Parts: sequence; C-alpha cells; structure tokens
Amino acid sequence: MPVITATRITKTYGSTRAVDALSFDVRPGVVTGFLGPNGSGKSTTMRIVMGLDRPDSGVVTINGKRFGELRWPLREVGALLEAKALHPGRTAYDHLLSMAHTNAVPKGRVDEVLGLVGLETVARRRVGKYSLGMSQRLGIASALLGDPGVLLFDEPVNGLDPEGILWVRTLLQGLAAEGRTIFVSSHLMSEMALTATNLVVIGRGQLIAETTVEDFIASNTEATVRVRSPGVEALAAALRDAGAVVVLHDDGELLVTGFDAARIGDVAHSAGVALHELSPLQASLEEVFMELTSDMVDFHGHSPIEVAT
Amino acid sequence: MTTATSPPRVALPEFDHGRAGLGDQVRSEWTKLRSVRSTWICLVIIVVAGIGLSALVSNIEAGRWAVLGFGDRAQFDPVRFSQTGEFLSQFVVGVLGALIITSEYATGSIRTTLSTTSRRTTVLAAKLLVIGAVIFAVSEVTAFASFFVGQAVLLAHGGKALPAGSTILDQVHSATIPVVSITDGGALRAVFLCGVYLLLLTLLACAIGFVIRHTAGAISAFVGILLVLPLIVQILPSNLSSSFEKFLPSNLGLAMILVTSRKTDFAGVLLTPWAAAGLLALYTAAVVVLAGWLLVRRDA
Repeated sequence: MPVITATRITKTYGSTRAVDALSFDVRPGVVTGFLGPNGSGKSTTMRIVMGLDRPDSGVVTINGKRFGELRWPLREVGALLEAKALHPGRTAYDHLLSMAHTNAVPKGRVDEVLGLVGLETVARRRVGKYSLGMSQRLGIASALLGDPGVLLFDEPVNGLDPEGILWVRTLLQGLAAEGRTIFVSSHLMSEMALTATNLVVIGRGQLIAETTVEDFIASNTEATVRVRSPGVEALAAALRDAGAVVVLHDDGELLVTGFDAARIGDVAHSAGVALHELSPLQASLEEVFMELTSDMVDFHGHSPIEVAT
Repeated sequence: MTTATSPPRVALPEFDHGRAGLGDQVRSEWTKLRSVRSTWICLVIIVVAGIGLSALVSNIEAGRWAVLGFGDRAQFDPVRFSQTGEFLSQFVVGVLGALIITSEYATGSIRTTLSTTSRRTTVLAAKLLVIGAVIFAVSEVTAFASFFVGQAVLLAHGGKALPAGSTILDQVHSATIPVVSITDGGALRAVFLCGVYLLLLTLLACAIGFVIRHTAGAISAFVGILLVLPLIVQILPSNLSSSFEKFLPSNLGLAMILVTSRKTDFAGVLLTPWAAAGLLALYTAAVVVLAGWLLVRRDA
C-alpha cells in the first residue's frame, strides 16, 4: 500500500514544463531514491508533495490525503527542502521551537532532535554562522521534529563530509527500518545505489523508471563479461563466429557482450581453448543513469577541447 | 555517531483529533518575533524616540511661547508636541510589520512555515495578531508616557492647565504656557488613537509584505503611501486635491491625534478622529483580504 501517490502531476513555469504528467508511488519501510539530473524537476515535485506549489493538473496524496487535508502536517510529513532557508539571526533552538509550536510538539522534543543530529552544543548559536553541513543537520532535525511517518529529503548529503554522508545514509535506512516512508532525492547515482532500495527516476520532468535499484541496473545493462585466456586470438575468433561482440585489449583481456558467462564457456570448450578468467561485469548505477538520461539533460557541459574544434 | 532514531523519548501528544490551529501558530509566530534582534531594536526605537522627541519638542516649543503671535498660539498643541515621535515611529512599525513576512520570503523559510500548516490563512492571521498585539502595547505605553513627559516639560517651564471649557481664544490670550491634562476634552482620545494609528499602520505594512513579498518593495510601497502619495495629490488641481486630501492615510493619522475641541482651522479639511480611524481600518482590512486571497493561491 503506497503512502505517497502522485498521479499525473504537471507543473509549468512560464514556458518551461518542470514536471510533465508524472506518476509514481512511494512505499513505506524502504528508502525510495528520487533520481534525476539537475533541473529535471525533483525539487518542484517535492514542493508539490508538500503543498507548497500547486500543480497545473494532477494530484499528490500522503496517506490518502492531499497536503491541504492534513490536520497535523508536521506530525504526518517532515521535509528537508532547502537547508539554507533559515533566518540567519535566529538560533537553531528557536528555529526548531517555532516549528514545534505550530503542531503542539512539546519543547523536550526540540532538545531531542538537536541531540539526534549532533547539534546540541551549537543550538544557541545564530544559524547565520552555520556551515552548509551544520545547516543540513538542522534541516534533518526539523524534518524529524514531529516524529512523522513520512519523510522527504531534497539532496540531504549536499555539503556533508564523508563521515556526514555515511551518517545520513545510516539514518535514512534506520528510519525506513522503523517502517517509515522515506523519499530522498539526489543527482548522485552512486549515493543512491548505496542508500536506496526503490527508485523513481525522472528526466525533464518525465518518469523514466520506477523500479528497484537492483532491477534498474540489471534491466538497463547489457551484460559484459571479462575473459582471460592463453589462447585469446582463437577464442575471440570463435566468439565472433558465434555472434558475440568482442573487444580485444592490448593486455590480452577480452570484453564480450551479447553472451553470458555460461555460453562463453561453452564456446571456449568447443574451440578447445582454456579459460583463466570468466567474470561478469556489472555496470554502476552512475553509468546506467548517464546512459538513460544523456538525451534528457538540459544543460550539457562541454570540454574546452570540444569547443575549440 | 549512532543513528538512534527510534520512537522519541519525549512523548508527543495524541493527534487523532483536533488540528494544528491558530493558537499553535500564534505561539510559533511569537517565538519567531522575539528571537530576532531586529524586533527589539525597532521596539527600543519606538519607545526612546517617542519619549525623547516628546521631551525635546515640548522643551523647544515651551521656550518659544512668550514670543509667539496669536496665529502661532492658536496652533500651539501640547498633545501633538508630545506625540512628535509618532512621525518617526510610523516608519519603524512599517519596517517591522513588513519584515516579519518579507524576511521569510528573502531567506526561503516561508516554505518551512507553510509546510507546517495546511491552512495558509492561519499564518497570516497569526502574524497580524502577534505583531499587532506587540506594537499596540508598546505604542500605547509610549504614547501615554510621551504625553505625561511632554506636559511635565511644559509645567517645568511654568505652564499651567487652562480651566475646563476653555476655547481656542482663551488659549491665545493665556499668559502662561497651556498644559493639557489627560482628562481635558479630546486629550485621552488623541493619545489613545496614536497607538491605534501605529497599530493599523503595522497591520497595513504586514499585509503589503504578504502581497509584495520583497522587503525593499514592500517598504517602498509603505513609505510611498505615507510620503509620496500626499505629494502626488498636492499637484492635482486644487479642487480635486482638497477633496482627496482628507482620505490620505497620513492625513487620517493627523486627524486621529488632533485635539479638535480647541482647533477650528482643520474643520472640514480633516475627518473627525473616529471616522479617520475607521477609514484607515477599512484600508487595512482591504489589503489584508487581498493578502489572504493571494497567499492561498500563489506558489510559495
């Protein structure tokens, strides 16, 4: 039973269609990654889920209700949308306290979430002096403040050091293990591969895939197998005759696509060639993602050399 | 660092019934207001400028009484001298009123505010209530303190209260500096309406802030209404300008603090004090309604 359900949401700003008939479900108990290149509509989608932007058409529900129908929004859905969206002159404690009051959350919970994100010693400092990493932690604290069952995080690891990134990853997985619904956006595919179980992938505001991390990689990767053999030349010829695509590297390594490992072994056997290595390679999520969205990125970078020629 | 998220040790109350309401939002807005420095700076300016300018201007005017002609003596208004600080304070409350919402748009924290409530008009109502209550309390205290300080300064210069029922002519022929008692006709109302004027301007500025959503834009609009609009009306043909002038917010403010029982020269030019207060409240209400209408419809 999905907790967040988006149904054909569309949002246009001027002549730019930020989100285009996007539908997806987010389920409880696992981390769902929300992937897309920069400018693909992730933040707009999250703002629509939180009732901040109104979609031109379509609807998003949380636990079957639109955001406007939630009676205790902070206690039902917490969000980290922009870490730096804080009054710089206010202390972290007062910021959280002002949020807590809106939904009758007791004061003690403010200290509790400050401890949870490790900001208790700097809680009485003005947040204008906070680093981006500290602001991210404060943003996570505000999302957790109402102890909600649904949590949204927009790029939560931005500005965090490696230790902080690991902390966020473990935190998100821990929250999901408690049965909460976790929806976390990122443009870093490698991060999502480590954090998320399910994936919603978008490009230019449209859904590209809604699947699990595992299936996403498996179904979008053409299996490549690395082969080493004392008789590479003969093996390469035999594989080509059988219809495989073979790349022979200078160091004697063969990269074979189109055939799985078992079939390559069979071909080698009938050709009478010994095998020293036969290892299937898995493409990283990053490579898969780049491949899938390469024609859906709005702003391509060009290397200086490319421009010169 | 561990990842002890687990159920909170601090028990959150049940939320099966009821909903986040105006009372909760008011507590939140009060926390926001008191936790930034600019609030306290603005409030200190209102109090210090109010009482300080009252003492200063009353002192200057008291020194001039002996050499004033009949015309100037007729204009001598001890209540108004004591409320000179109001001219400065009207801009201070305008800045504060606008800032409590435009600073949220400037920093982006408006999105945090709106994601904690499912009824946006609650945010508008809570902000108006909190800033209104604070400004009204501080303005009234300042207005009355300024009044008594001003009269004390006049007394120290040998001033005397005129007998009850004195007219403007009695004031012109008075040998001593006229001092006003709070029970004199119109004095209590004039001083009280000073606080009301600042209250209404605060709410007006806050509502303008909700509509314009930019600090500089909102404050410019507010200052424009008080200072620039009168100049524009003045360059209109005189028959037009004289019919519009009394409806200008700045002149409504003037009408609210004049002690008209001794004044004749403004009769017809300005509205009566309570009518002026009512009209300014009406202007404010109109902008508040517009602010609420836009807040519900616009993207945050």
